[in-house]
Parts: sequence; structure tokens; C-alpha cells
Amino acid sequence: MVFAHWVINLAMAYAALGFAFAIAFVFYGVGRIDPAAKGSPLMFRLLIFPGAVALWPLLLNRWWSGHTSPPVEQNAHRKSANSVKEAKS
Amino acid sequence: MSHVYTSVGWNRQKKIYDSTLAVGIAVYLGLFVGIGSVVHPNATIETLLIRGFGTCALLMLHIILSIGPLCRLVPRLLPLLYNRRHFGVMMFLMALAHGAFSLIQFHALGELNPLVSVLVSNCRYDSLRNFPFQPLGLVALLILFLMAATSHDFWLANLTAPIWKRLHMLVYVAYGLIVAHVVLGVLQSETNPLLAVTLGVGMVVVLGLHLLAAWRERALDAPSDATSSADGFVDVCAVEEIKLNCAKIVTLGGERVAVFKYDGKVSALSNVCQHQNGPLGEGRIIDGCVTCPWHGYQYLPDSGASPPPFAEKVPTFNVKIVNGRVLVDPKPNAPGTRVEPAKF
Repeated sequence: MVFAHWVINLAMAYAALGFAFAIAFVFYGVGRIDPAAKGSPLMFRLLIFPGAVALWPLLLNRWWSGHTSPPVEQNAHRKSANSVKEAKS
Repeated sequence: MSHVYTSVGWNRQKKIYDSTLAVGIAVYLGLFVGIGSVVHPNATIETLLIRGFGTCALLMLHIILSIGPLCRLVPRLLPLLYNRRHFGVMMFLMALAHGAFSLIQFHALGELNPLVSVLVSNCRYDSLRNFPFQPLGLVALLILFLMAATSHDFWLANLTAPIWKRLHMLVYVAYGLIVAHVVLGVLQSETNPLLAVTLGVGMVVVLGLHLLAAWRERALDAPSDATSSADGFVDVCAVEEIKLNCAKIVTLGGERVAVFKYDGKVSALSNVCQHQNGPLGEGRIIDGCVTCPWHGYQYLPDSGASPPPFAEKVPTFNVKIVNGRVLVDPKPNAPGTRVEPAKF
């Protein structure tokens, strides 16, 4: 019983912090970490709101670290191309 | 494509897809509640709705899980894949309604926090017959929420496609939890074998389609047995083997490469679409661009770059044609690097 209370209270605290963060993020932060979000409509911001509540530590880290564009994925071809490029330079 | 985000990039296909889904859900729920009230005259409307939402979500999840392998096996079903994320969000809403109604009906009338009540109202984890199945459903619902909440392209771009796909692979964990939730819950009190048989058939279909698609794909990922020339270029096929405006897919450099034939030219680029890692080589050249079969993202065949103002880029490969054979350098060029197409 105590453990169940603890789990639910922890989840509620995480969600409450995420909710507060998400308000600031969808109106101010999103355009700073992803240029394609600048000037985006209100409905887009509302659609990403639940995800911002859920993944707020990740977004806070990206916003805090000053990232101004989304990361680029890495796969075997991209890694190989990057290593060739680095070797040439 | 990622110029500026919109809420939903509506087009005719998406409207038809979503309308069909909405009508299908409404018809299913109407029939379920209507027939249920006749077959079980003592059941309350709340109970019928809980079961209706739950079975609807379960049915939708089976269809969603079948769409991926079905499209690998029968490419003309690709339109089903096009808007699958909306399908997933609607399925989550059905599951959420099932969970919310259940929480209100079974856990909201006591003094305990309803969510705590879900976790502690039954602690007989040592009993298969009375196993606490509701926490399994709660965890599955949390996974489905995470997937629905990150379904917008913003999350694909900001998590990157490989991480986004790994996150969304959790659907299989959710599926396992939901099957256990149903088997341990409803089936224990249900005397009619229909639900058990239906669930069993559904599981066999989902598993069978996945195994069949994986078996078909295995051949594509096998290391290429093509021969290399002195300059390292690999002989992948004859020019005639590639259909016009289509591609031959080969595995080079640890990943699939799509070798396209178009306008008397041949170009090669990485097979992995930057959007959702869709198979570019299974797409076609449309309006001069390689077009991903999953969501229509486009790349110029000689540079692997999306036409302006879009910014997606994939690696390209040097290509040449010798004696009617297509030779590809397995070392990829940086994404977006223009390569002179080989002419034939």
C-alpha cells in the first residue's frame, strides 16, 4: 500500500512538473530547439503538449544546452560517410 | 516534409482514411452495445461501453500490428500504412475510454486514490486464476499514451527516426500486456469461448504475418555476394534488371542501397528515408524525385537531397556502368552530395 502510494505520488509529481514545463516549452522553447516550429499554429503546439509533459527532461536538456536544430540520425551509411569526410579534412 | 510544422497535413487520402476509421468505430460500438443489450439484458450501459471500448481497441491493435508485415508482403496495401499513426491515436483513445470508464466504475467510489486502488485492490500475484490483471492494462495504457503523444512529425525529427522507432516498438510490449490483461481478466469469468477463440486467431494472424514478412526480408539483408572490381566498385546487377523509374535494392556497407534507373541514367542512394526510415528503394521516381512509398518524402536521385525548401538528405554512392553492368562504390558520400549519374 505504501509503495503503491509512493509510485503514484512520484508519477503525479513528474506529470505536474512536466505540465508546468510543457506550457513554457510549447509557447517559447519549441521554436528555439527546432526552427521548423517557429511560427507554427496553436493546434500544432497543443498536439505536442502531451508528449512534452511525458518527455520534459529530454526537452529541457536540449533547450538548456542551446541546441538550435534537431539531431541528425546515425546509421551505417551516415557513420561511414562522416568518417570518410573527417579523414579527408 | 519538415519546412514548417502544421497540426495535421490534411489531404484527400487522410480525410478518407480518418473518416472510414471514425465510421468503423461508431458502427462497431453501436453494434456492440445494441447486440450486447439484447444478449445481456441485465448489463448496464457502463459495462457494455467498457467492454465495447476495450474490444474495439483490441481489434484495432491487431489490425495496426498486421498492417506493417502485410505491406511488406503485398505492396498494393501501402495506402493502409500511410496514415497508420492516426489509426494508432484513435486506438489509444478507445483504450483510454475503456480505462477511464473502468477506473470510474470500479475504483472511484472509495476513499483511496483510484490509481492507488488499481494497484492495491487485488494483490494475489501468486494466483493465476485471480491474478491482478488491471495493473497490466494500466501499464499498457501508459505505453500507448507515450506512443500517441509522440506521433507527430516533430517527435520523429527531434528524437530521430531510429530512436522514435525503438520507442514505438514498445507497442509489442503493450500488446503482450494487453493479451495478458484480457486472458487473466475477462476470459476467467467468461463462459462463452468466442472471445478466447477470437483472441487466439488474432494472435496467430499477427505472429504469422510477422514471421512471414521477416522470412521474406531475410534474403534482402544477406551480405552481397557480388564481385568487387580493382577500384572497390561492386557489381550489383545488369542495367536491364532494374525496371524504369524503380530501384534494385542491395546491401552494401552494412545497410541497404537503392539503385534507381530513370531517364537513361542510374543513381544510387541510401535506402533509408530520413523521415521514418522507410524503404526508398521500394518507392518510384515521381516528378523526377525518388519518392518514399510510406509517406511520400522526396529526394533528388543524383544528390539524395530533398528539393527546396525541404532539408532532408540521405547519403549517395558513386556509380558507373561497365559492359551493361551497374557497379556501385560501397563507400557512401556525405548526405546530399551530388554524384554524376551513370548513363546508359
